[in-house]
Amino acid sequence: MAQTTHDVIIIGAGPAGLGAGLYTARDRLDTLILEKFMPGGQINNTDRIENYPGIEKIDGPGLIESMQKQVESFGARIENGADVERLEKLQNGHIAVHAGKNSYIARAVILSPGSSYRKLGVPGEEEFRNAGAGVSYCGTCDAPFFRDREVVSVGGGNTALEETLHLTKYANKVTLIHRRNEFRAEKILVEELLAKANEPDSNLVIKYDTVATAIEGQGKVQSVKLKNVKTNAEESYPCDGVFIFVGMIPNTGFLQGFVELTDAGFIRCDCAYLRTSVPGVFAAGDCRIGAAMQLVTAVADGVNAAMQLKQYFRDPAWWNTPVSDMLSPGGW
Amino acid sequence: MATGKTIEVTDADFASEVLDSDVPVIVDFWAPWCGPCRMAAPVLEKIAEEYEGQLKVCKVNIDDQREVATQFGIMSIPTMFVFDSGQLVDQITGVTPSFETDLKRKIDAAIAAR
Repeated sequence: MAQTTHDVIIIGAGPAGLGAGLYTARDRLDTLILEKFMPGGQINNTDRIENYPGIEKIDGPGLIESMQKQVESFGARIENGADVERLEKLQNGHIAVHAGKNSYIARAVILSPGSSYRKLGVPGEEEFRNAGAGVSYCGTCDAPFFRDREVVSVGGGNTALEETLHLTKYANKVTLIHRRNEFRAEKILVEELLAKANEPDSNLVIKYDTVATAIEGQGKVQSVKLKNVKTNAEESYPCDGVFIFVGMIPNTGFLQGFVELTDAGFIRCDCAYLRTSVPGVFAAGDCRIGAAMQLVTAVADGVNAAMQLKQYFRDPAWWNTPVSDMLSPGGW
Repeated sequence: MATGKTIEVTDADFASEVLDSDVPVIVDFWAPWCGPCRMAAPVLEKIAEEYEGQLKVCKVNIDDQREVATQFGIMSIPTMFVFDSGQLVDQITGVTPSFETDLKRKIDAAIAAR
């Protein structure tokens, strides 16, 4: 059976994939975006985006909805519920993408599968999470269930601080624990956090140099075991819920054996032109080595991959040219 | 009736729709402001279609139907319960990359156990 060969297949319709699709579609390339669930990915968990240039404030689902409309308006097709299991480089240089019963072929592929939240990996976490009994990875989703209760949140990045501030609107008391003595989040968020903690009768407590070593309770979360990493002092800290924001892990399990990955699962690429170990396959967004794990950089990666892809179509041998020999892209 | 479509249930008809159902039931506790719930929605619609006649897929909007959510001590959304013959037999909280597979495994187990 004759099969359509797409110019480009993009795997994952988060910010990186939609950024890529916008550019490839506007270049009149036949663009198919395969999405496991629904467009957006992690950014759907965010209700407050203030660092996307040109947009003062928007929520994740809102931004994605408008990105999706924009991409589709230029002719890219998004297929939801397409769970890619395997890729294959064909003899003619094209790439086959297998998703369940369906297979697709493209001249080039942009991998933008994104990332998922990292677990803390302590006793009790899995058990209480599976039981829906007080462990959460989404403050926006679950803060309202903790009205007038006490919660502990864990982390020190942008997401941790934003979600902790969100939690203070609902919970009686929020304790943020962080394993270091300073936050890696944007300064403006740190300032807002500290201002909140310093209010008279604030419901926000910050504990630095502290890690959670276990989540405990009968049937539901009742306390967290905390340990000060400087003094090694331990305490059982009462709370009704634990919110975990300790970073992301790449969704690259399905790529093992196809492209080179690091031990941590990030896709190896040249970081300048986003070329992976397989010619014609680019990596964009949270999934790649060196990713800043930000909305804007994910979009930028997608756009960069879409630009470099044209160079590959023009001259496939370009794939093996070292970055150092390409201080300015040839032929532009 | 297992109609092949998802059904919004309320505090008032939860017992008749879910507990008294003659086929296993998935109950999705969700809210409009929950991003992962929006991602789970099309998967649940697909499951309702695929399992037409064998399974009912119900949705509880926890903003409007607080009694049921409180009764079951919901603390995280989306949470999906699997009911059979009025008994809570399994559940999933949150949406992960393996969400659809995990949920189908639980549904298949519930159907096989009848």
